[in-house]
Amino acid sequence: MRALKSVGVRVGRRLVASVPALLGVVVFTFVLMRVLPGDPAVFFASGPNAGQAEIQMIREQMGLDRPVHEQLIRYFSEIGRGQLGRSMTTGQAVVADLRERLPASLELTLVALILALGAAIPLGILAALRPNSPLDHVVRFVCSMGVCVPTFVSGLLLIYVFYVVLGIAPDPTGRIDIFAASPPDITGFLLLDFAITGDWEGWRAAAGQIILPACTMALFVLAPLARMTRASMLAVLGSDFIRTARSIGLSRWKVIVVHGLRNALLPVITITGIVFSTMLGANVLVEKVFSWPGVGSYALDALLGSDYAPVQGFVLMMALAFVVVNLLIDVLYGIADPRVNVE
Amino acid sequence: MSATLKHAAWVLRGNPVTALAATGATLLVLIAIFAPWLAPHDPILSNVPMALQPPSATYWAGTDQLGRDVFSRLLVATRLDLAIAVSAVGISFAAGAVIGSFCGYIGGWLDKSVGRLVDVLMAFPLFVLAMAMVAALGNRVENIVIATAFINLPFYIRFARAEVNVRRNLGWVEAARSGGESHMTIVLRYLLPNILPAMAVQISLNLGWAILNAAGLSFIGLGVQPPTPEWGIMVAEGARFITAGQWWLVAYPGLALMLTVLCFNLLGDGLRDILDPRMRT
Amino acid sequence: MKFNRRQGFQAAAAAGVAATAAPREAMSQTRAETLRQVMGGVINSLDATMLGGTREGFGLVMNTYDRLCSMGRKPVSTGGFTFDLDNIRGELAERIDRSADGLTYTFHIRQNATWHDGTPVTAEDVKWSLDRSVSARSLAPPQMSMSSYTSPDQYKIVGEKTVEVKLPRSDRLALGNLSTPYAMMINSKLAKQHATSDDPWAINYLKENQAGGGAYIVESHRPGQQLQLRRNDNWKNGLNGELPYFRRIIMQTVPEAATRASLVERGDADLCIDLAASDVPAIEQRNRAKVVAIPQGNTFQCIVFNTRVAPFDNPKVRRAFALALPYDAMFQAALFSRGSKYYGASWTQAPNGLFPQPLGVNQDLDRAKALLAEAGFPNGLETTFTYAVSMSAFVDPMAALLQEALGRIGVRVAIQKLPDAQIGTLIVERRLPFFTDLGSAWLPSPDYFFRLYYSGETRWNYSGWQNAEVTAMAQEARFTIDQARYDDICRRMIDISLEQMPHVMLWSGNHEAVMAKNIEGYTYWFHRMVDWRDLKRS
Repeated sequence: MRALKSVGVRVGRRLVASVPALLGVVVFTFVLMRVLPGDPAVFFASGPNAGQAEIQMIREQMGLDRPVHEQLIRYFSEIGRGQLGRSMTTGQAVVADLRERLPASLELTLVALILALGAAIPLGILAALRPNSPLDHVVRFVCSMGVCVPTFVSGLLLIYVFYVVLGIAPDPTGRIDIFAASPPDITGFLLLDFAITGDWEGWRAAAGQIILPACTMALFVLAPLARMTRASMLAVLGSDFIRTARSIGLSRWKVIVVHGLRNALLPVITITGIVFSTMLGANVLVEKVFSWPGVGSYALDALLGSDYAPVQGFVLMMALAFVVVNLLIDVLYGIADPRVNVE
Repeated sequence: MSATLKHAAWVLRGNPVTALAATGATLLVLIAIFAPWLAPHDPILSNVPMALQPPSATYWAGTDQLGRDVFSRLLVATRLDLAIAVSAVGISFAAGAVIGSFCGYIGGWLDKSVGRLVDVLMAFPLFVLAMAMVAALGNRVENIVIATAFINLPFYIRFARAEVNVRRNLGWVEAARSGGESHMTIVLRYLLPNILPAMAVQISLNLGWAILNAAGLSFIGLGVQPPTPEWGIMVAEGARFITAGQWWLVAYPGLALMLTVLCFNLLGDGLRDILDPRMRT
Repeated sequence: MKFNRRQGFQAAAAAGVAATAAPREAMSQTRAETLRQVMGGVINSLDATMLGGTREGFGLVMNTYDRLCSMGRKPVSTGGFTFDLDNIRGELAERIDRSADGLTYTFHIRQNATWHDGTPVTAEDVKWSLDRSVSARSLAPPQMSMSSYTSPDQYKIVGEKTVEVKLPRSDRLALGNLSTPYAMMINSKLAKQHATSDDPWAINYLKENQAGGGAYIVESHRPGQQLQLRRNDNWKNGLNGELPYFRRIIMQTVPEAATRASLVERGDADLCIDLAASDVPAIEQRNRAKVVAIPQGNTFQCIVFNTRVAPFDNPKVRRAFALALPYDAMFQAALFSRGSKYYGASWTQAPNGLFPQPLGVNQDLDRAKALLAEAGFPNGLETTFTYAVSMSAFVDPMAALLQEALGRIGVRVAIQKLPDAQIGTLIVERRLPFFTDLGSAWLPSPDYFFRLYYSGETRWNYSGWQNAEVTAMAQEARFTIDQARYDDICRRMIDISLEQMPHVMLWSGNHEAVMAKNIEGYTYWFHRMVDWRDLKRS
């Protein structure tokens, strides 16, 4: 009970502490967008014959005819009402767009992270068991390869090989085959929704769509995860309690998995959190390449069109996600290792 | 000093991958310096009748849409790419280390307020921030460097701060302080050099990352301006030709990019082993 | 084919699109009767006249709304069809009467025409729609004014199914302009129910809802991702009253051009019109999909000089630049020579009044050098050449060649590639000295090009050029019915523009539509989007 309470206090304190950072993010993005040399009104008044009058109308519509500080105040009052403005690119409210697109990005990132962890932890353990052996070098080399290729190149190559040449991947156009039925909107995560409704055929189809983009992203984060697993495994395996466990004759695998891995996982959790929040913001190019209807490609288009509201909304949401993920790690950490609570 | 060298030699011997990476990095620097004399063709001059030729004895890596030799462009691009990476990482390292050290050493309100700013930066989706900065400042090489340096800054600040924080009350710092050295001198002359080795690992890992970041910016059209040869742009442009069957336009620049990043990453790992004996188990 | 529950639900709930009557026949539709088009852009409004509406929306409203009249189409020798501005027929109107003085048009609405909700089309609807096109705060009024439509007073109801349109002067584009996407006919009873005092023309409602009677009905719309339409089986306004072939249309956004190419080539998508120039020759060669290449006579790529700043305020500098450009190499590198040249003719005086056409401009470095020296720059000069990121696929190589060639006459060019939003602002504010852009005209008559791109104060007069003679002649030509006189005026305008060279006309790239081999009837329209009503699967 006391532990739970202390976790609650920690969460509350962290949340309050994150408010200034969030405010900073909002203001900084707001100013940065207005420093962009492009005038969104001109960009969107691109109809044939559109002239100065039309540009002026769009400026009014977007509220750009007012002084910047007034725009900022209006923006804050909008945030207060749970609104983030309207996207010119899609013509929808930014909140609605983000709500529609966030599950796609989250699902992709989570699947990629699971794939990456699934590969990185075994590889890291293998490398740690035989440090500086050829096996260690091979693992290190393989992991490093993933970080060396820009995600848009590995994505395009995967599409070329598995879709164009081999024809075993479904067409890389989003989360679901366009002619297939979608599951009812329960969680927004297609894989979950299909599983809940028991539509395994649909589940397989959705899994087929997500596998290539998820692999592209997983390749890129394999290295930090595997490296961290290796390092922390090495540290744990060299410690006294492992030697003790070995000396009392516990089986090799039990020592490694139960005693070694469990203790080595804490730093891995930390880095996983960091990797996750980075991935969520960094899958911009992967989403673009795979026509994935996520928040990253949404923000990219908006930024190139100087469409202020979606970029501001995206950045704010990412900052929130960052805070939440850090909080989650903190709580996990606190539960796993009670000493952290003392601070 | 010689002990460090000996240790380095020992690590390199026992660690062929690091040795290979070190050789590769040296080679890259040499290419960067001598590329204009090494290139068999003019990297900029067009030759439209010879456009889109596959690799051959004359054009080792084929030609691009304007009939320029891809191999020559790759060689010449080495200098710019290394320059981007080194200056971007250099700037963020220099700025980050100094700011971080002072924060760690002085603490108090300075530490708190910088810490808040760093929190703000850390909460940003970094690639989007870099995009916005380049778009705002104009997509020139120096702005790509600035944006890349900027988004790296928080990591260096945190790192330096943490490293200095553990050292600020150590005996030799106390000794310097009681010897009448100013705080400025203590931070710049004693503490900074002391944390440099630990940060060197981070630097070499970041070099590769900086090149990839520039390539990503090129892919969305915010990179270096044509016709300047640069790997990121070459890959981004080449990607357009994958489906048309002109694979050499993406394969060779991609390979150059990959090998370079790989070199720096493996070097970073190796450096860690050299500098951090605990990892030597 | 299964009905998409989620999308149906979302469309009805979120967008309120008229998907309430979930079509039962959708169940029985086959893939063959469905057309899947992939595109790079997005559709952000169901009403293309909305401020900020994207180009992709033009094609949509051509299919979801009718207009009073429609341009015809004519076959192209290389395959496919192109639009025909000289052959205009009634669409929602079954008969169009033109008064002898050309100042009054009378439109007789089809007797059995209905809206999507089944109510009959009345003269009030037509009058309201026309009034909206000249009054609403939208992109429509400036376009309508191009053919003297400026006030609701010009539109009069003269019968239950008859509307009269009055013009102040006889205008060559009067009917053509009523065939454009912005002149769409709206179900006014439905629209007015959703109009407010702030929004009398129901702009907000029509952005996300339809009130039309066109050949297709939007079934679901996920902005930025995809749009699905089904055929309106009660539609009778087509040529000979025929229904379109496809029962269902899917428009999907696929941002990567290379992916779009693969989708069509592998047969997963049926049609794409925005592929990278480099992919098209390869697709043609592999012959797994059909390429229909149609000249776009109503568009042009140009290199613009800002005539309001030094050194480009000097016509000699502009002509020197024009003479230095390596046209053929640029055309080859940018578009693989797939298009029509607007350079390379041998004449010095325009032989006829057609525009755009191949002009008497060719590379001549010696004369270029001489002209530059004459202009006071014997040692050359320095400038910056700018273009938009979205054009980089074909302008990157072009810019490199331009830089090299201008270097030969001593001009040092820096190249600057900018995001589209930025370049637009810089052009409007006339802060770019030297850049490239693309122009297109919905109603491609020579005078329209000269009015829009060679005079006036809008962004489209890229060079900011002001020539009193051309401005006056462009206005005069618009109202000139006598063809000989019209040709004379146009010839003179061409000659002046070549002498003054506010911008260099380069070429117009082909409209390259890549489609499944069994798709027939592809037509290139002035709005440069697909009209699905023309297509069928053989």
